[in-house]
Amino acid sequence: MSESQVSSAESPAIPRVPVFSPGRIWVLTTSTFTQLVRMKTFYFLIVFAILVAGASNLNLLYTSAQKLRMLKDASFGAMSIFSWLFAIAATAVLIPRDLEDRTLYTILAKPVPRLEYLLGKLFGVLLTIGVALVVMQILFTGFLFFREVTVLAEERQSLEAQGMSAEDIRAQLELVRAQGVQWQLIYALIAIFLKASVVAAVTMLVSTFASSTLFTMIVATIVFVVGHFHKLAAGYWMHELSGSLVAKLVVKPIVMIIPDFRVFNVTENIVGGTPVDAGTMLTLAGLALLYVAVYSAVALYLFIDKEF
Amino acid sequence: MSVPAVEVRNLTKVFPLSLKKEYLVAVEDLSLTVNAGEVYGLIGPNGSGKSTTMKVVLGLMAATTGSTKVFGIESRDVRSRHQIGFLPENPYFYKHLTGLETLKFYGKLCGLRGRELKDRADEMLALVDLEGARNRRLGGYSKGMLQRIGLAQALIQRPKLVVLDEPTAGVDPIGSRQIRDLIFKLKEDGISVFLCSHLLEQVQEVCDRVGIIARGRMWREGPLHELIAIEDQTELVLRDASPELLAKIGRLIESEGGGAELMRSGHPRTTLERLFLDIVRESQEAKVKEDREKAAAAESSKK
Repeated sequence: MSESQVSSAESPAIPRVPVFSPGRIWVLTTSTFTQLVRMKTFYFLIVFAILVAGASNLNLLYTSAQKLRMLKDASFGAMSIFSWLFAIAATAVLIPRDLEDRTLYTILAKPVPRLEYLLGKLFGVLLTIGVALVVMQILFTGFLFFREVTVLAEERQSLEAQGMSAEDIRAQLELVRAQGVQWQLIYALIAIFLKASVVAAVTMLVSTFASSTLFTMIVATIVFVVGHFHKLAAGYWMHELSGSLVAKLVVKPIVMIIPDFRVFNVTENIVGGTPVDAGTMLTLAGLALLYVAVYSAVALYLFIDKEF
Repeated sequence: MSVPAVEVRNLTKVFPLSLKKEYLVAVEDLSLTVNAGEVYGLIGPNGSGKSTTMKVVLGLMAATTGSTKVFGIESRDVRSRHQIGFLPENPYFYKHLTGLETLKFYGKLCGLRGRELKDRADEMLALVDLEGARNRRLGGYSKGMLQRIGLAQALIQRPKLVVLDEPTAGVDPIGSRQIRDLIFKLKEDGISVFLCSHLLEQVQEVCDRVGIIARGRMWREGPLHELIAIEDQTELVLRDASPELLAKIGRLIESEGGGAELMRSGHPRTTLERLFLDIVRESQEAKVKEDREKAAAAESSKK
């Protein structure tokens, strides 16, 4: 090894280490993002582009508006599946892998509080999902725009050939345009992202006490599935078992512990042409933030005294 | 008196075994001190409690009872980690990062930024002889290279204490020698080193003080020269001694009486590691010589 200055021999003073450092969290976030990108995560975007291109060129026996709606359905469906699947898989893998590879030792042996480590990992997953969703949205909006232009031209031609009045043609084309590119589509993207954030937070919580990655994935998937109907089922069971011990000890805790994922399903309304107002989106954002904060706090509680 | 680099007082660490009401006492009432600027070796067989002690010192585990401090700060306090550089046994860092990116990542975690971080990363890469592999991903590094980048990340924030867990595990003799030289360099610069190993020869070479741990307990501890000295024997090392001279010395000892006895005489032996290194060095020098001769021959034939 070459000669180099290692360090000077001064007597160390007690260092000032900020209790909470957004800078360190950002370092961990970007590192996690780089890790996930270099795991070739974004290859999914190629599959997505092919899917959207295929859906936009399908000429089934649909009306013009239905053709656009089908493209939106397929795109948002793929974006939704990608986001929750990725949120579970990526979050479930990251922490156990750091532990198995002992990378965790070298990180926590630096002045990094465990809260920052957890948040860095979570935000890294969310950053990756966010970037992927934005790219998918841009791709999809581009395809939708060109499809809208084509479909409108075809529709106009067809309506004119039928000898419809200019007024009727305009009204008909407005109906088609309502299924085209709209600002509301961004709300659908945000709702998908918020839902994925909650899924990632739940998965992170499970990974702090799970004994294996597989266990984490299975439990997180069960929570995700149950979270889509438990409120409905709970209503039924609470009615049936009103006042019973089972209702108090089983049903109520499940309803409290598992997040209600159905509330984030505003995409269907937006795709169907029913607008969602900004107030609803703010409520969803607040709810997602609350879920993420609560699950992260419990994850930290379990992780802070975990021994490696 | 300066604050000790590491102070372990009456440390006991107990692990519960699954759901049964059984416990494993990994470390029992262990006390040790690593003074500032010294190289301390904690040696013991596998499962003796070395790594557990180290993890408690690093704050990766909590003590069941007792206390551990790093430069006077409790190990569980995150501030204590500012002064520590840690190299775990067989480290695996993020394979997707290059050597340079790895050092920058750890440097940033310690608060280094900008020019200071870049210069320090370059300096560390030079120190561990990995300048040529700075832009190669760690997935393509050999075990020895990983160990060296591990040392570089441990030193990135100029720590005052370096904790090394089996630093030469799986490393070839040349790499092992480089790590040994680096430990000497750290000592020269006044950095404390807390070394865990079961390679006695290595510990003997570099450590000022040694603790011997077995079944979670400290059995012996003290300055190395005191621990390894055989009190009732005296060593004489002679150069170019003829057989006649040796016989004369033997006779003198016998004639003196008083119970003194010549135990053995012969040529001191080198270690296998030294022999290996000498042969490698000799072969490298021979290659350089051959290359020079070939170049000279090619030059003269041109003329």
